Amino acid sequence: MASVTFDRATRIYPGSEHPAVDKLDLQIQDGEFLVLVGPSGCGKSTSLRMLAGLEECSEGRILIGDRDVTRLQPKDRDIAMVFQNYALYPHMSVAENMAFALKIAGVAKDERDKRVRDAAKLLDLEPYLDRKPKALSGGQRQRVAMGRAIVREPRVFLMDEPLSNLDAKLRVSTRTQIASLQRRLGITTVYVTHDQVEAMTMGDRVAVLKDGVLQQCDTPRHLYDRPNNVFVAGFIGSPAMNIRDFPLTQNGAMVGDTEIPLHREAVAMAGREGNTVTVGFRPEDVDLAGDGQPGVPVEVDVIEELGSDAFLYGHLPGANPLEDSPIIARIDPRSTIKRGDTVHLAIRPHHVHAFSPTSGERLPDA
Amino acid sequence: MTWLRSTGWRHLIGLATLVFALFPILFVISASLNPSGTLVGSNSLFSQLTLANYRNLLDDPMHPYAKWFLNTMVIGGLTAVGTVFLGACAAYAFSRFRFRGRRTGLLTLLLVQMFPQLLAYVAIFLLLLSLKDVFPVLGLGSRLGLVMVYLGGALGVNTYLMYGFFNTVPREIDESAKIDGASHAQIFFGIILRLVAPILAVIGLLSFVATINEFVIASVVLVDPDKQTLAVGMYQFVSQQFSEHWGVFAAGAFLGAVPVVLLFQFLQRYIVGGLTAGAVKG
Ligand SMILES: Nc1ncnc2c1ncn2[C@@H]1O[C@H](COP(=O)(O)OP(=O)(O)OP(=O)(O)O)[C@@H](O)[C@H]1O
Ligand SMILES: [Mg+2]
Repeated sequence: MASVTFDRATRIYPGSEHPAVDKLDLQIQDGEFLVLVGPSGCGKSTSLRMLAGLEECSEGRILIGDRDVTRLQPKDRDIAMVFQNYALYPHMSVAENMAFALKIAGVAKDERDKRVRDAAKLLDLEPYLDRKPKALSGGQRQRVAMGRAIVREPRVFLMDEPLSNLDAKLRVSTRTQIASLQRRLGITTVYVTHDQVEAMTMGDRVAVLKDGVLQQCDTPRHLYDRPNNVFVAGFIGSPAMNIRDFPLTQNGAMVGDTEIPLHREAVAMAGREGNTVTVGFRPEDVDLAGDGQPGVPVEVDVIEELGSDAFLYGHLPGANPLEDSPIIARIDPRSTIKRGDTVHLAIRPHHVHAFSPTSGERLPDA
Repeated sequence: MTWLRSTGWRHLIGLATLVFALFPILFVISASLNPSGTLVGSNSLFSQLTLANYRNLLDDPMHPYAKWFLNTMVIGGLTAVGTVFLGACAAYAFSRFRFRGRRTGLLTLLLVQMFPQLLAYVAIFLLLLSLKDVFPVLGLGSRLGLVMVYLGGALGVNTYLMYGFFNTVPREIDESAKIDGASHAQIFFGIILRLVAPILAVIGLLSFVATINEFVIASVVLVDPDKQTLAVGMYQFVSQQFSEHWGVFAAGAFLGAVPVVLLFQFLQRYIVGGLTAGAVKG
């Protein structure tokens, strides 16, 4: 078990100018479950593969524990990795797959068998130990890949989108299993996913990447409540936060015909850059305004029923619903609002996020 | 009638092909059992049956058939094994490592293979002739030298074929083994070679057959009758005018075909698809 440190780690692929991972600075505590999340092509896999030693660092260092592993071969780093496509050895049985690393490390046969059996029990793989991978279902293969990592008892687990090949239901249950397994084993884990729900539910902390640059690394709660910039605000949360530019006023922003108060300093900073400010609010931080109360008028385009919740998708009067991103609000699933109605939304003032319209950085709110 | 139109015609075509393929073999067997020794005399299949040709074949001190047979098997076997091993090593490197000159190397292989080895035989002759002075083991007249010539000549095509097949084995398997602590050699022998077994069997078989049939270079390199291969040696049975021993030749050809068939039967089990099934979620 060990901490992991990325120290300005950079990876530039041969033949490309733009770094796939750009000066990544990240400290991962001993025993922590860290999730790397971001859109496709943002450099998550590359970061993980750098830690595994499958890609070289062009610049910077990577440390596992106190040891600089930047120049070490993968086998000398004491890590185990679960690949997105599992990469099982097709000619070996499940038991042989799991024992392969131990065999190479020269672990005695008895000890090997015991550890494989323990891992198999943990993962419900006991009936399949003699089968070849091709005779397993996708979910079982995924567990074999996990098992292969577990028997190693490595210092760090690396997982690259291990759930992306499973169906939705299995994904949810496996997600919980992996998280609780990691807590039980207490092994430092770096987990890559592009699914922000997975990131939020599994990680102790979540690191958001975009174009190879680390945007924010924080606990899921903090990431959700205080996103550092417009990208994180829009990426984390489903449905996404409503984000758009509104005219700046003396004390805040003019949304429709209501003024939303913002922090004094935020108004001052936005004022120096122009006369608009980027305002974000989450769908659940919106109430339907009663008759006569002030609110932003919104024409309803779609009501999305999820059973426990319902989401209203609409647009400001005068805006083109096809071009603009919709305004989304969570409403009571039993409400009688229909398509084509106009509703008035009251935004809860203390749950508003303000960002600089030019840089997209968060503006002070306290 | 519908059966004939939907499946029956396939059987008919199969039957025709079978006759087409089997007839020459039957003819050779019949000729080898026919004492007349001429090809025309064998035209009525299996009209006379004796083992005289086989006896002559094995007893003739001027034409040491048994030695040729052994030579051929050794040279063919060594060439096949060597070709497979060298080709696999080269293909693995081309498929998995990234090094300067990789693309150029692949292209060169492709170009060089287009140059028929046959045209180089004068050069090969001269090369081996001078090699004989400094390093007789590989020089002119040496069986090992011939194997070396074969190995060099076949490397291009085979590497290219194998390279394509190696690329179908997902790289993640290598990477996963690397993380599991395996060395390059362990990955190569323990994992990759198992997964590319079909192409190894195919290349091995093709190379064995090609070596057994090869005549031009073998006849240039091997002059001593005791060291010759079947193709070179048996040619003497039919090359002298007015004393053509077609019956003996047919007997020799038939015996020579037996190991090829056996090898094919043995390797056939490796020529199967789907070895990498289950490695990755497709
Ligand atoms: N071998 C390579 N050679 C050159 N560029 C590469 C290579 N591998 C990845 N890249 C580039 O590096 C960037 C980051 O790739 P990476 O695989 O890390 O993305 P990712 O975040 O894992 O995406 P995904 O969610 O789709 O898996 C991409 O722009 C990609 O095009
Ligand atoms: Mg990836």
